[in-house]
This record gives sequence, structure tokens and C-alpha cells, in this order.
Amino acid sequence: MLTYNLRLAWKSVRRYPVLSALILLGIALGVGVSTTFITAYHVLARDPVPGKSESLYYVRMNSWGAADDPFLQTPPPIVTWRDAQELLKSRIPVHSTATFASRGTVFPADGARPLRQSLRLATADFFPMFAVPFRYGGPWSREADAKPETVAVIDSALNDRLFGGADSVGRTIRVEKAELRIVGVLAPWRPRVRAFGLFGSPLQAPESIFLPLALTGPMALQPNEGQMNWRTPAPGEDKLPYASRLMVNEILFLGFWAELPNPESVKAYKSFLDAYVTEQKKHGRFPHPLNNRLTSILDLMAELKVVPPQTKALAAISLLFLVVAALNLIGLFLGKFLARASTVGVRRALGASRWTIFVQHLVECELMGLAGGALGVLLSLAGLAVLNRVYGDGPAGVAFFQLDVPMVLAAVILSLLAGAIAGLYPAWRICAIPPARHLKSQ
Amino acid sequence: MEFGPIFRSLLRSRARVILIVAEVALTLAIVANCLSLILDTRAQLAKPSGFDDEHLIAIQATPFDDRLRDPKILDQLVEQDRRTLRAVAGVRAVSHTSLRPWERSGSITAVRLPGTRNEPARTQSAEADPGLFDTLGLPIVQGRGFTQAEYDQGGDAPLSEVQPVVVSRALADHLYPGGGAVGKPIADADESQRFTIVGIVDHFYNPFGETSEKIMLLPARSASFDYGSRYLVRTQGNPAPLMPQLEKALLGVEKGRFIKLRTTVENRDEYHGRDRLLVGSLNAVMALLVLVTALGIVGLTSFSVAERQRQIGTRRALGADRLAIVRHFLLENWMVTSFGVVLGVLLAYGLNFGIVTWVAGARLSAATVAAGALALWTIGLGAALGPALRGARVQPAIATRNV
Repeated sequence: MLTYNLRLAWKSVRRYPVLSALILLGIALGVGVSTTFITAYHVLARDPVPGKSESLYYVRMNSWGAADDPFLQTPPPIVTWRDAQELLKSRIPVHSTATFASRGTVFPADGARPLRQSLRLATADFFPMFAVPFRYGGPWSREADAKPETVAVIDSALNDRLFGGADSVGRTIRVEKAELRIVGVLAPWRPRVRAFGLFGSPLQAPESIFLPLALTGPMALQPNEGQMNWRTPAPGEDKLPYASRLMVNEILFLGFWAELPNPESVKAYKSFLDAYVTEQKKHGRFPHPLNNRLTSILDLMAELKVVPPQTKALAAISLLFLVVAALNLIGLFLGKFLARASTVGVRRALGASRWTIFVQHLVECELMGLAGGALGVLLSLAGLAVLNRVYGDGPAGVAFFQLDVPMVLAAVILSLLAGAIAGLYPAWRICAIPPARHLKSQ
Repeated sequence: MEFGPIFRSLLRSRARVILIVAEVALTLAIVANCLSLILDTRAQLAKPSGFDDEHLIAIQATPFDDRLRDPKILDQLVEQDRRTLRAVAGVRAVSHTSLRPWERSGSITAVRLPGTRNEPARTQSAEADPGLFDTLGLPIVQGRGFTQAEYDQGGDAPLSEVQPVVVSRALADHLYPGGGAVGKPIADADESQRFTIVGIVDHFYNPFGETSEKIMLLPARSASFDYGSRYLVRTQGNPAPLMPQLEKALLGVEKGRFIKLRTTVENRDEYHGRDRLLVGSLNAVMALLVLVTALGIVGLTSFSVAERQRQIGTRRALGADRLAIVRHFLLENWMVTSFGVVLGVLLAYGLNFGIVTWVAGARLSAATVAAGALALWTIGLGAALGPALRGARVQPAIATRNV
């Protein structure tokens, strides 16, 4: 029966090509526009580290000095080197890391002109915490952090450029004055939200070289993104190399993350932090009232407004657009169906039930809906390509906005819905017509 | 006018009327809200920086050659660079400064009046040479700019020395609401450093951090091996064609460094990227929506004209002229569209309420709604015109056939 209905639908399409094309175009536009903007919203609002977002916490402590400044009542978004070193010792979190972004010069082995690259310093835990994908090798060990060993993980784009995409694990790369041994090469990686770095645009692509945090001093690397300093350096202190100042002064520059898998560990870690700050108060640090914050990654995204509110409005408006497009098609379907009312009259007279006629026409509407939906998905690919042009592509051509399975499913459902909105009333109208009226005027 | 008969005939084709009313109402609701969002965002986009953005190039020179670790060599390099850049034909002014217009980067510091415990004002701060004001096209409206001597010793001055600063009107007014800020002192939050306001620039807008209109400019040569030297170049004409030449000139002075050039307009567009994308998307959605709705009205009206050929024929045979037929359909359509518009105004406010409550955005203004309503009236009439004219061409003879 379905194949018969499909055949009838196909015949009807062929008989009214212009009308059918208009209907198709209407559905395609509606589905295309709404799929584009719903995908944009979905990509931005989606779980940034699937399976981990519940357990990743960002750590803030109020280490500001100058107790009388009301602005300093809220904890700074980053922590100092000395606090990070103490927090890293805790074994309550499954993983924890302190991290910052820097820049450095890479000197290619063949003596070619050096390259300026973005660097991220972190501890070994960084990679499992943020589910960083590897193509070759893997992260460095915790021992490498402790020593520290001169090792590095590079991204696939840099690996392509320096080593022609070959497995470069075990080879060395010169960054500033250090020869670093490559232990891992990343697979093309475009995290939805660059949650690990709070500064700059949250949608920026990640850095291209990753190295142990403990190399900061030996390699004299400096923070390239945010740093905050409330304390005026003591006399003579400003003569120290900057990297040493980072370690002894109260300069804030590290983002601190802890992976706490259950409520008990969150509670335990919270008391650990409170105990640490209370202890530090005895040494004259942390003059502000106890105000430690553990913020889950999803709450942090909301706080940083990673998803612009307008994106949500745009997704809602695009859904309404689909509804209007479908409403418009009611008229077209009505015209198309009533034009062949006489055929329906004959079928009814020959014994077809109202239900059969209704189903036949609804099948045609849904068929048009699905075909228009397929076209709409193509349109949304074009729309997303435009969005990607503006947001910029990730490393090795990993586009930022991509259709995924849930979104394609959503597009299918939307097109069936559009077909139903547009087709239910015309299908009902045509099957409600008494056969005699159309038989008479033959 | 034949309002009565038209209204009664509308009652006989309720489905069509309901459809058009629904389409027009929804379209108006969406268009009005899109317009409102666009106007809201446009206001943000249109905020001027106060600089000659269209003629500015931002240059960053970051050394990698070890020879350049010597601060003396770096300082000499700044002088050479500035001379070289200025000598390029088409360059109007050059400044060595850490100010980065539209780049979301810079430095923020807290200042207040010395000796007070007021809440410190957070302000952007940047280092600059005397040429900055000329380069930005940012005139000093009170007091003066920096002297060469102030600039030359600025970087090395001990913290205890009082430094001259130029501030924006917003910062001056914040610290000295009564006016007359020139010549007055300010200090940083823990009073380790003191400054004297020597000049005021009127309009400054560079969104970054918590503040976009407050700036404190200090005379200093801010070159270092790790962060490099930064220049702003103001050109006479379009800046983009000059960039390769400027890059070559700088590499000619010293090739042991990376040179990155961008026009300030590029930086500004990137800063506005999201908002520009939003405005573009909303425009596209609006245009497509109006198109789809207009097509829908054309379709439904043609359908109704085709259905009523015989009635048109009868009316024509009874003496109605073509104009009367066109008028009939336009009037009919106008009545239906008006229902839609009235309903649409209500829907628009409803949708806006939802958006403002659950998402974000500004309240709908009456003018926006009125503009949307007017547009839809016009579109409705325009869409009905074609089918109505076609209806008027129906021959009176039709009425006599097939009876």
C-alpha cells in the first residue's frame, strides 16, 4: 500500500512540476534556516568535554591583597604559582592541573626561518582531563613533570609542517633555547569550548605546542594571555628575570582545574582548599574573608557567556520561520489537491474509503517534506560554511560548526513536521469532498 | 465601497482567511523582533573609537635573534624602526605604543586620588611616545601631550618619581568630577606610583576588560625581547596596499624578528565578529521570511481568483468595470492583511516578552512595530496586485458559458 501511495505521489509531482518545486523550495528553506541556527546553538551549548563535564571543576581562591578595595572582594579568575604548586600536591582529585598559555619561537632543524607558535604549559593530567585526542604517542608522565624532563606534545598541524605528518615521536624540536623530545602528536583537535583557558575568545583554536609546567622557569617562558598583579614589586625585585618573579611574587597567571568524580570528593576538596587558605592566612597572605570557589565547567561556561544569548533567540526565531514556511505551503497543497478533485471523486466512487484518500495525500505531503528536508540539510551545510568562515576553522581543517547525528535527526523530524503542518488540512479537505459533486461536472 | 459583500464572501472561505491572517501575524511578529534585535546590535557596532580606524595599521615586531636580548639594542631598534616607517611614502604618522585598538588586549590598572580611601577606578593603561595622538587622530583637548624628554627617560624612571600622564575625559571626570583635572595628581591603588595629569583626550573608546572609555597613557618605550615592540601607523590613503612594503622595510632594518601586520579595521571587524554575524543572519532570515510569506499570499490569492472566475464574469457582465474587480480583490486582501497585522502586533509583543524574559535583548519599541506593520501591509497589497489584475482580465462571456 505504501509503495502504491508513493507511486501516486511521484505521479502527482510529475504532473505539477512548478507547484511541486515551489513546495520543495519552501520546505527546504524552512528546514535549512532552522537546522543552521539550531546547530549553531547546539554546538556552542553542547557538553564541552563529553562525559567529564560533571566532574571538572575550576578553582578560584581570593588571594588579592589590598583588603579595602571592594572590587577585590570577588576572587581573581587565576591563581599564583606558589598556590598552584601546593594544590597540585593534593591527591583528592583524580586529576588536577595548572595551566597557562605562552608563545615561543620554534627553530626548524633545517635552518629555515623560525616560526612563532602558541604554547600551553600544563601538567601531565591535562590530557586525560580534557580528553585530548592523540594520533601518535601520548602525554608525558607525572615523573616528567616532577623532574622536569624536556618533552613536548605538538599538534597535528605543526607535525605536518615540521615532519610532513610522519610519526615524530622520539624526535626533537627546538623551542626557544631548549631541545624538546616529542612524546605525542595530537589528532586534529577542535574543542567546542576552549574551557581550559579563560582568556581570549572561548572559541579560539587550542595552542600548538604543549609542555610541562615545570619548564616555565628553565625556559624563561612568560604568560601571553591574562596575568594580574596587585603587589608592587619590592626594591630590586624588578631586576629579577621575569620567570623568577612569576614564582616568588603574587603574580596571578595560572588556571587551575581539578577532576572530582563524586560529591564526597568535591566536599573533601573544598575543605582541603579552606584549610590551605586558613593556613596561609597565618603567614599574612589571603587578607580577604574565606571565599574559595569550585565551579563546574558548565557553570563556568554560563558565567563566561560562552553561548551568546542572541544565539538562543536566533534558534527560536528560525523555528518560527519553519512554521511560517509550512503555513505557506498549506495554500499550495490545497491548490494542488483540489485541482485533481475529480480524480479523487472517481476513486471514492469506485470504493476507496476516506481514510485511504487521506493517507494517500498525507504520504505525498510527507514525501515532499522529506525531499525538501534533504535539500534543506544541504542548504544548512552552506549556511554552516558561512558561519565557519566567520568563526574561523580549526587546525587541519576541522570545521567548528558541524552537523552531527542528532542534528541530522532533528532536521528529519523538522521536515516531517513541516510536511504534517502543511499537509494535514489539505489532505483532510480533499478526503471530505463528497464524490458526487466532482463526478457531475465531468 | 463594498465592505459588506466582501466581508460576507470572506466568511465563505474561512480556511483561506485564517491562513493569510496566521501567516501575516507570525511574519509580523518575527520581523518586528528581528528588527528590534538588529537595531539593538547595530547600536553597539556603530560606537566610534575616536581613532582614525580606517587609516591605521597595527604592527607587532617580536625578536627571536639572541642579539636582540640587549635592551639597548632594542631601544635603538625602536628609533630606527620609527624613522624607517615614517620614510615610507603614504605614511602619515607613526607611533611606538603598547595601546592595541580593538584587540581585546592591554593592561588594566587601578588608580585613585592620592591620600584617599575611595574605591579605586579601573582604567586601561598604555605606554606611548609623543607621536601617539597624531597617529590615532586623537586630539588633546586640554593641557598638552608628552615631550621627547619625558618619553626618553620614561621607561627608566624610578617608581618614586612622579610621571606625567594623559588621560581620557571619562577618567578625568571620574576622578575630578568638578573639572580642572589638568595639573592634578593621581596615584595607583597602593600609592607606590604617582602621576600628574598633563593632558586630556576627549573621546576614547576601546572595549577591553571592565572598562572601555577610561585610559591612562604614560610616556615610555615599551620594548622587550619577549613581548616585542608595537607600532601604530597612520596612512594617508587605504592602508592595506602599504602593508607588504612596511613589512619589507622593517625586515630590512633587522631580520631577526617576526613582523605581524594587521589593519585596525580588520581587528575591529574581528572584535565585532559575533555581532556582525548576528545582524547578517537576522537580515537573511527576515528577507527569506518576507519572500516566503509574499509567495504564500500570491498563491492563496491566485487560488481564490481562479475559483471565482465565474463570479467575476457575472459581475463584469452586469456592468462592473475592470477597476472594480481589482478594487474588490485588493480591498478583500487589505481587510485580511489588516486582521493579520492587528493579531501580529499582539504576537510581536508576546514574542518579545518571551525573548526578553528567557533570553536577552531590548524591549520592542512602538516605532519598530509600526515599521513592521507598514511593511507587511505594503507586501500584502503588492502580493495581491498580480492575481487581482489577472482576475480583472476575465471576460464577461465566461459567465454565460457552462451554466
